[in-house]
Amino acid sequence: MRLKARKFDTFYLSLFFVALYLPVLSVILYSFNASPSTAQWTGFTFDWYRMLFRDRVIVEAFKVSMEVALITSVLSAILGTASAVISMWVTDRMKSAIQGMMILPLLIPEVALGIALLIFFNALRLPFGHLTLVLSHSLFCVPYVYIMVQLRLKEIDRSILESARDLGATTWQTVRTVILPLVIPSIITASLLALAMSLDDVIISTYMSGPKTTTLPVHIFSMMRVGVTPKVNALCTLILVGMFIVVGLSQLFNKKQHKEDL
Amino acid sequence: MKPPLLNLININKYFGDVHVLKDISFTIEQGEFLTLLGPSGCGKTTLLRCIAGLESVHSGDILLNGSSIKGIAPNKRNVNTVFQNYALFPHLNVYDNIAYGPRVKKSMKEAELKERVRDVLDLVQMLGYEKRMPHQLSGGQRQRIAIARALINEPAILLLDEPLGALDLKLRKHMQTELAHLQKKTGTTFVYVTHDQEEALNMSDRIVVIDQGKVQQLGSPRDIYNNPVNLFVTTFIGDRNIMQVEVLETKETHSKVKLGDNIVSIRNPKQHRLESGQAATLAIHMDKMRVSCDETPNALKAEVLSIHYAGSQIRMELKVDDKMITVVEYQKTDCECEIGDLVYVVWEDHGAILLPLEDSGVEREV
Repeated sequence: MRLKARKFDTFYLSLFFVALYLPVLSVILYSFNASPSTAQWTGFTFDWYRMLFRDRVIVEAFKVSMEVALITSVLSAILGTASAVISMWVTDRMKSAIQGMMILPLLIPEVALGIALLIFFNALRLPFGHLTLVLSHSLFCVPYVYIMVQLRLKEIDRSILESARDLGATTWQTVRTVILPLVIPSIITASLLALAMSLDDVIISTYMSGPKTTTLPVHIFSMMRVGVTPKVNALCTLILVGMFIVVGLSQLFNKKQHKEDL
Repeated sequence: MKPPLLNLININKYFGDVHVLKDISFTIEQGEFLTLLGPSGCGKTTLLRCIAGLESVHSGDILLNGSSIKGIAPNKRNVNTVFQNYALFPHLNVYDNIAYGPRVKKSMKEAELKERVRDVLDLVQMLGYEKRMPHQLSGGQRQRIAIARALINEPAILLLDEPLGALDLKLRKHMQTELAHLQKKTGTTFVYVTHDQEEALNMSDRIVVIDQGKVQQLGSPRDIYNNPVNLFVTTFIGDRNIMQVEVLETKETHSKVKLGDNIVSIRNPKQHRLESGQAATLAIHMDKMRVSCDETPNALKAEVLSIHYAGSQIRMELKVDDKMITVVEYQKTDCECEIGDLVYVVWEDHGAILLPLEDSGVEREV
């Protein structure tokens, strides 16, 4: 009986993962297909990648995406960590208020959030471009940093902070010499997550992009209107590889952090 | 006259509606080993945290060398704490843990610091462990590092919050001796919190017994052990047989009391005056009593109920006038008694004490 059940488990899981990753694999495969049509395989080629790097618009969009994602991840790492550290010292009621307001942006549908931001930034007469992209991306990245750093902070023994005070450290010295070194792995993991989320956001970026500043995902989306070209496959493959690296790095930091015993 | 090192004046502290410290006043002298002893939840740790500045007091004052430190933040007070779970910084090695205090206060140059770290490591016998991380150390070693980390700041007072609580029995006994040595060697004033009476009696110069947020008694270990001033201290320190008696006659040093049809003479308490005809509590240390087969003056007649041989000691349960008592003897007596025999129980004079009967009920749990 047990053996049978196990066989079924294996079968089910294999089917599940094949269904999940087959489309991804096909994108990678077709990005090397010499034929522009997905209907047939006519041979291996790097042509689409070459064309991709020659496409000025795509390279420009990639640059915008990277710039926005990097600034967003740094900004949300700072803001999220600061909020998490500050909420250590406030009353419990204040803390749950902060937490509630942090999570709210994640629950608002992006379509609605995008419109809201569009109206708001318009009213402020902010030029649409890098600034609006960074601000709006930070809105949904800060909560992730906050949550991850806060989880780590909860694990820190209070008496460690008290002993820092007791040994003569001011609050700021305690933050700098004890709290930050203990939560830095979480901050790095969270900012890599923020980087990934900023890089692949489409909906909010569509509202926030300026006339000359389009992010890569938004551009790909517009390319799709004229049909899937192998160039898009090549681009998606590169993005996939990039994402795997980012996620892999964040996992690495997570593991390292859990090895240390608090 | 030189003011005491630390002067606690009418300290009151509330946690919400709970009055945790009630009018606590006493002084701590330079260079002494003072222990705050009491059951868990009595307020002893809270009092320690008030001295450290980690808790605020609601009323009263704390004077260090004659000047108030009540409103001063913990990082500005010249006292250091050794926490129960050591609270070493997990991301710093032994050297950096110990160097933490002088570094944040910028009180030493690196070269001087290096020498001082060496000195304190030598003091706690942990030289050579500088590069270890806290998680690579055993409980006893972490304990020593925590003490070294506090001592390098040369605090006026070292506060220790049940520092041996997490260690096993053998190591605890060893560390007791070592702590007492360390205290004498450095001359630092130690304020030590524990619920373990044996620890307190072993190490302290003076003991403050605290219960329910109040100081019950303050004195030397010997004094606390032999002359408890109230029923709480009597039952909390040492194992005693508690009996209710009637005072017949009070003389200068001793009183005659009546228990059933026994009439015995017991020394008077120091702090209380007894009146003839008054009911009183008689408390005798179990291990200061002895069983005799022959009729002896000043003894209680008792019936043997049970005898247990437990290693080095013999425990006997006896019945004295319908009251169960326990006698612990460390060597075999000449009296070969068996269950059901009638024997006479005698005791060392200073092992017995009389107290006036308290309203709070004799059978108080500790």
